[in-house]
Amino acid sequence: MMLIGENLNVISQTLGPALKERNAAPIQEMARAETKAGIDLIDLNIGPARKGGDELMSWVVNTVQGVTDKMLSLDTTNQDAMEAGLKTRKGPALINSVSLQTSRVDRGLALAGRFNADLIGLLWSNDGMPRDVNERAMHTVDFVYKANAAGIPNERIWIDPIASPVSVEINQVKACVEFMAMLAEIAPGCKSTVGLSNISNGAPTELRPWLNRTYMIMLMRHGLYSAIVDAFDKDLMAIARGQRPDIVELVHKVMDGQTPDIASLPREMANYAKTTRVLLGESLYSHSWLEV
Amino acid sequence: MPFEIPKTAYSGKIKEIKLGKTAKAVTVGGETAYPFYLFEGQMPDLPRIAMEVYDMPPEEWPEAAMEPFAGVTGDPVAWAQKCIKDYGAEIICLQLLSTDPNGQNRGAAEAAQVVKKVADAIDVPLIVWGTANHDKDTEVLRTVAELCQDKSLILGPLEEADHKKIGAAAIGYKHTVVASTPIDINLAKQLNILLGNLGVQDSMLVMDPTVSSIGYGIEYCYSVMERMRMAALTQQDAKLQFPIICNIAKETWKTKEAKILEKDDPKMGDAKKRGILLEAMSAMVLLLAGADVLIMRHPEAIKLVREMITDLAAK
Repeated sequence: MMLIGENLNVISQTLGPALKERNAAPIQEMARAETKAGIDLIDLNIGPARKGGDELMSWVVNTVQGVTDKMLSLDTTNQDAMEAGLKTRKGPALINSVSLQTSRVDRGLALAGRFNADLIGLLWSNDGMPRDVNERAMHTVDFVYKANAAGIPNERIWIDPIASPVSVEINQVKACVEFMAMLAEIAPGCKSTVGLSNISNGAPTELRPWLNRTYMIMLMRHGLYSAIVDAFDKDLMAIARGQRPDIVELVHKVMDGQTPDIASLPREMANYAKTTRVLLGESLYSHSWLEV
Repeated sequence: MPFEIPKTAYSGKIKEIKLGKTAKAVTVGGETAYPFYLFEGQMPDLPRIAMEVYDMPPEEWPEAAMEPFAGVTGDPVAWAQKCIKDYGAEIICLQLLSTDPNGQNRGAAEAAQVVKKVADAIDVPLIVWGTANHDKDTEVLRTVAELCQDKSLILGPLEEADHKKIGAAAIGYKHTVVASTPIDINLAKQLNILLGNLGVQDSMLVMDPTVSSIGYGIEYCYSVMERMRMAALTQQDAKLQFPIICNIAKETWKTKEAKILEKDDPKMGDAKKRGILLEAMSAMVLLLAGADVLIMRHPEAIKLVREMITDLAAK
């Protein structure tokens, strides 16, 4: 399981201003902290960066690559910024991301080809978010076809089926899991990733990790290759590294319809069992889902 | 091989909630199947209609909506009595329009006195509906709860922001509460949980999913109510197994389509017929989505919906 740390992000209240002021110290400190926490890639999220994005991405790549040997994920929708970042990068890079929108896909693929970078294939098309598992499959075929035609092999494509918040539409939550089970057949050799924290968007902050971790286990069961995650969620790291087989086994059991008597479980395990039931759509989400 | 009609596997039941406490009290809920799926389960308590009464003379109502209440719109007691006597109302819903801070902004004590007068004058259950302004509803509904403490009222709307204070008063003075959420099933469940945590008994709660008229997003209301029933009846979601109340009349009659006069737009046709049908059809849609109590206005719209309920429930 490859973990991409999400914490170096323009929406951070400390790192946002640091990016703007080109203040290297907090940025480097975060990169070091994520490295120390044990993640595999560091995501550099500079947001849409409409003005001067190229210069900013170039600066942040330079700032970070001096202090970590981890692979870097360049995260912006500004394609000039992406190009500038890739030019600056000495070492492996992941383009986060290339969507299927007509206005973006060709240039994104060309950048991946030119800089020999991996890329996240975001299943976001001209029609927006895919509505179900079938549209995800269709978009994957479309994306991989285009990427191959641009000379990019499946092994460099990380498909992102787009996780959406549990409180918005449970069918989309289920569709992502279903899709993950199909991916190896639709696009052999392709990798996968997911913006994991999206699942818990809108949930009470202190409870979000339960949703993130449980959803990761559910997706991992179907072969999830990587995820963009909170680098400082120690339990999540432990699960991803195979150190919590007890939790994984429980989640799998609930997925298989063999839910043990939740009331008799210790609190931590009961929380995972309840969360799995919510993410499977068996129990309706509410902010107090762990209490009922 | 004989054809077998597929059947939904139900595992839950909507709670039966008693509204009011006199001989005229009504019980709502109790469904063990989707609305009017009497071939799959029971509806022991058919949906009920509450008739609206306002605590001040309505402004900007279309003529068709005023006509049935001519002579009583200035007197909530007379209005309520007319609804019961002339139009057979089984429940009255007193809309506390006068307390709206953006309108007359009548004080809590004065508003509560009016509620008390109406409650004293009628023997059918009384729903008291505020203006959905959290601060004002808190003040008004708490005062009402205390002043009418022996009346077993149904108080609403309680929203997340004001549920604690109004809920506490309702618990203390033994009134039923209307848990109101903005067309969102997850938030509806959450508010029911919060009210439960506060101490509201399961037998004292009905849900308002927030509704709108035909042409104004009723599809979304339908979908949320439908999902509430699916969760309640097929997923044993105990926190959603409550009767649903829909405050539909005012949403219907305030629309342009209900208000515009035939002379101003001849293609819209007769205004009275149009308004009545809009109300009846909106109510019908909500019935099919799972409404247990409909708050309605026009006697003829009510008559249409009652007939429909009777037809759908016929063996």
